[in-house]
Amino acid sequence: MRVLPSIQAVGDSFFRKPITATSEHFVGLQNYVTLFTDPRFIGVLGVTGLFLVIIIPVQVVAAVGLGLLLNEAFPGASGARVFVYLPVAAPGAVAAIIWGIAFQQQGPFNAVLGALHLPQQPFLSSPDQALLCIVVLMSWIGVGYWTLFVIAGLQDVPVQQYEAATLDGAGWWRTLFSVTLPNLRRPLVFVIVANTVANVLAFVPISILTRGGPAGSTRLIMYDIYDRTFTLGNPNLGLAEVVVLLIFLIAVTSLQFRLLGREDS
Amino acid sequence: MRALRSTAVVAGILAALTLSGCSGAGNNTSEHATINFMAADPQKTYQPVIDGFEKANPNITVKFTYVPFDQYNNVVSQRIGGKDAGVDVYVADTGTVGELATKGYLKDLSSLKPQAEKSSLSAAVKANEYDGKLWALPMWTSQQYLFYNKDLLTKAGIPFPSSDPDKRMTYEDLLADAKKAKAAGATWGMILDQIDRYYQLQPLAESAGGGSGATGKDLLTADVTNAGWTKAMDWYSELFSSGVAPRGDGAQQMVDVFAGGKAAFMISGPWQITTNAQARPPVNFGIAPNPLFEGGKATMATGSWNIGINPASQHQDAATSFIKYVSMNQQGNTKSTQVSGITPTNLKSFNAWIAKEDAIDAPSTSGVGALTLEELKTAAVNRPNSPGFEQLQDVLDRAFSDIRNGQEVDTTLKNAQSELQSDWDQLK
Repeated sequence: MRVLPSIQAVGDSFFRKPITATSEHFVGLQNYVTLFTDPRFIGVLGVTGLFLVIIIPVQVVAAVGLGLLLNEAFPGASGARVFVYLPVAAPGAVAAIIWGIAFQQQGPFNAVLGALHLPQQPFLSSPDQALLCIVVLMSWIGVGYWTLFVIAGLQDVPVQQYEAATLDGAGWWRTLFSVTLPNLRRPLVFVIVANTVANVLAFVPISILTRGGPAGSTRLIMYDIYDRTFTLGNPNLGLAEVVVLLIFLIAVTSLQFRLLGREDS
Repeated sequence: MRALRSTAVVAGILAALTLSGCSGAGNNTSEHATINFMAADPQKTYQPVIDGFEKANPNITVKFTYVPFDQYNNVVSQRIGGKDAGVDVYVADTGTVGELATKGYLKDLSSLKPQAEKSSLSAAVKANEYDGKLWALPMWTSQQYLFYNKDLLTKAGIPFPSSDPDKRMTYEDLLADAKKAKAAGATWGMILDQIDRYYQLQPLAESAGGGSGATGKDLLTADVTNAGWTKAMDWYSELFSSGVAPRGDGAQQMVDVFAGGKAAFMISGPWQITTNAQARPPVNFGIAPNPLFEGGKATMATGSWNIGINPASQHQDAATSFIKYVSMNQQGNTKSTQVSGITPTNLKSFNAWIAKEDAIDAPSTSGVGALTLEELKTAAVNRPNSPGFEQLQDVLDRAFSDIRNGQEVDTTLKNAQSELQSDWDQLK
């Protein structure tokens, strides 16, 4: 079901339809040349790359940290797990609106900063801070989900290995790096790959909160595809971008599998 | 209300059955039809006109879909562009009609032109013409005024602006006064209703001699880096860099900021009058004509939503009856503006609206009817009917937003110019 539209996208990306024409005509690779010579698209690739480089480590480290914490038996552990997972259940649009209010100039975050006598921040209206605000928002939504896979992985670690480590006199850090993390490799492969894919496809908060701005600083590729296709009325160029995105996703996922697979052996 | 509607629907069905029984087979007009109407204002805005139409046409039911403004043009591209017959009638913003017509998204309504010219404001009808044909019927129009908060101005020792269009304020003086008002304690010195949208900001550039941004024979040549645009945007940028107007808040919040007594000046439309009149505690306000740049010309944003038919609609007759009721029927057109307080385009509705405008919140609104007529005649500037209007609006709205957030004016306009031209070139 997903292969056919992909093939169609590749085909349509070789065509072009002028605004006054009734049908498309074949232009070969022209749309790709247009894309890669367009400073806006180069900017989009840069912003998307930067976004991934920040958000993937943040989410994976946070998920492992929370997973370790919530895997401990303490009073109210199951309640805490529900609490961490809860944001995942909130619709993305609702979460974006709530965070949008929190980030407002006269919103709660600035009120707290004001109460602590700290300088007010522009948040979403600053090209330097907007992308980080999106990272915070998306991590708040996403981390609980990835944490579940880490907890599941942690519960599969054989107890004997921990006992052996304790007998060998290994401390908490040594146990983490020599026992816990090596045993978590399989769930982590999944989390990193799926997390990359999920974040490349980030769209809702951008569409609702920043529309790619300020100054293109949050113009992630999915929003650019949408904007180019529907608002700017150029679906063929949008599809060329979809093809670039598909190639990127295939490349990244196969690279990650290969790297982690090699470590496994 | 709902009970009344259901009764009306049941009565309509019964009437339709009876009529088809009397007239025999083949009379399609008496068959019950349901048409889908899509617009960018909430249902409560349109409920009075829908109820009025269903009462007058018991064999037609109107189902309403609300799409918020920010998504509206994109949804039109997806649904009407996708030949979705699930939309029969939809509204088209002034400025987008040329583009929608070029793409084949609107049914040609030229046969209704003589009737429309008789029933509606001629400028509003003209805004729906493209390539010598009529593509939509006018529904609403708009004007802009300079609102001022009398209490905040008095507190700052600023004289009230004149209501005489020949003695209108300059934007330069307005900014200076706004700074004074802010210094004297107003939360904001000066705000704009649609604070970072093309509708609101085009007249600034036009007043400074910069034009609409779209030039050339086909209106597909970008021109937003000229002296006029730069002057207008420098002024706009200072509004925010000086702290006179807020960054971050959206266009939909501005109306309440002024009605809440938090701004000394505001440029806004007739809907502001309705909101001010309902404000509790009341806001002590006055109305003056739009400002102009020193040595520039008087300009004012105008135009609003028009109503047209999806060529893919399976209910063309019912759809035509509905748009005629909304646009050409005095009662229908008046009902469509009942909730929002916006200006109707049907001549009779318009005249009645003008006559009532003075009394909405007297004495603050005294004389506003005459001012409206004068401004519509002399200062109104429509959005360009370019086939690339959506690109113009999208690229410039982003540029406005960036300037508002502190980006440098020259660079932002230069980038917008090249981005817009490249978008347009790809569509030629």
